[in-house]
Amino acid sequence: MIRVAAVGDIHFGDDTRGNLRPHWSRLRECADVFLLSGDLTNLGNRAQATALAEELRAVEVPVVAVLGNHDYHAGEPELVRRVLERAGVRVLEGESMTLQIAGITLGIAGAKGFGGGFAGACGHAFGEPEMKSFMWVTERAALELEASLRELHTDYRVALLHYSPVKDTLAGERLEIFPFLGSYRLAEALDRAGADLAIHGHAHNGAHKGLTPRGIPVRNVAMPLIKRPFAVFTLDTDTVRDRRTVRGGHAVEPHAAARP
Amino acid sequence: MELEYQYLVGKLQEALASDTRVNAQDIRVVVTGGCIHLIGEVSTPERRSAASEVAAAVLPGIPVRNELTVLDLGGGNPEPEPIATGLPR
Repeated sequence: MIRVAAVGDIHFGDDTRGNLRPHWSRLRECADVFLLSGDLTNLGNRAQATALAEELRAVEVPVVAVLGNHDYHAGEPELVRRVLERAGVRVLEGESMTLQIAGITLGIAGAKGFGGGFAGACGHAFGEPEMKSFMWVTERAALELEASLRELHTDYRVALLHYSPVKDTLAGERLEIFPFLGSYRLAEALDRAGADLAIHGHAHNGAHKGLTPRGIPVRNVAMPLIKRPFAVFTLDTDTVRDRRTVRGGHAVEPHAAARP
Repeated sequence: MELEYQYLVGKLQEALASDTRVNAQDIRVVVTGGCIHLIGEVSTPERRSAASEVAAAVLPGIPVRNELTVLDLGGGNPEPEPIATGLPR
């Protein structure tokens, strides 16, 4: 069994210093990896990133993160990334990584994602340059997410996002702001490439659980929603031998087994 | 006056999002009964107090009812949720 702890929307600042350390120092008891789904800092400045990096030193399992919109606010996302990486956090943006956990490989593909809305009520790259730019950011994020999932040849694959790929996990938010909370293009990327689990944050007033159209479980781990310092998900590894046969033996087209 | 309030609510939400002491985009602002109600949850008591100060500065002269709660993270490790895994998705 692989145990995945995850949380997003920590919005860390000077005034939250020390709040999470006591909880995070116990992570090893219940998790093999800790995923952070963006909005790690409140303003995305050096002071807050440094304070968070210090807080994360209590964590004794690998930490993998994506940034969120708040981490871009000061215009220095690269600085936030560097500060966290110096503390041993792996920050992903359209990238993937592999962890070995008790002989099982876990692949993590990460991207912040972006807004745009959901099928039937979404923006299009049409008209003014500003609108095109907005939607191109989403399209690029979806393409990078798909590519980074496809490059993983691991036993299990988890997608880590800040913005939501589905509407299910936004239930509770005002409908008017859905296009600012996520995009169906991210779900399309997940369904094309395949994954065992997708994790996101951003929707503080949303819902915990959702599914992509092809049935990939989606979980919203925004801290204001889960009201915990992290959530834990377990991936049952009993099926790992069958998975390796399917992948290694090319018995079926990759991911075809999950198709309806 | 009601129309004016709609603009004021917008201005206050903008201020709550951009003020560096709060930076919260999900505080609900309701103006009713001659009062501003701030509804939602913030991470710290400091952010809760600052939200009142921002409201008073943006909408002076209107009483503020701060109904924000401070996020309580609870104790103990969370119960793990099993994710169904079959053949590769």
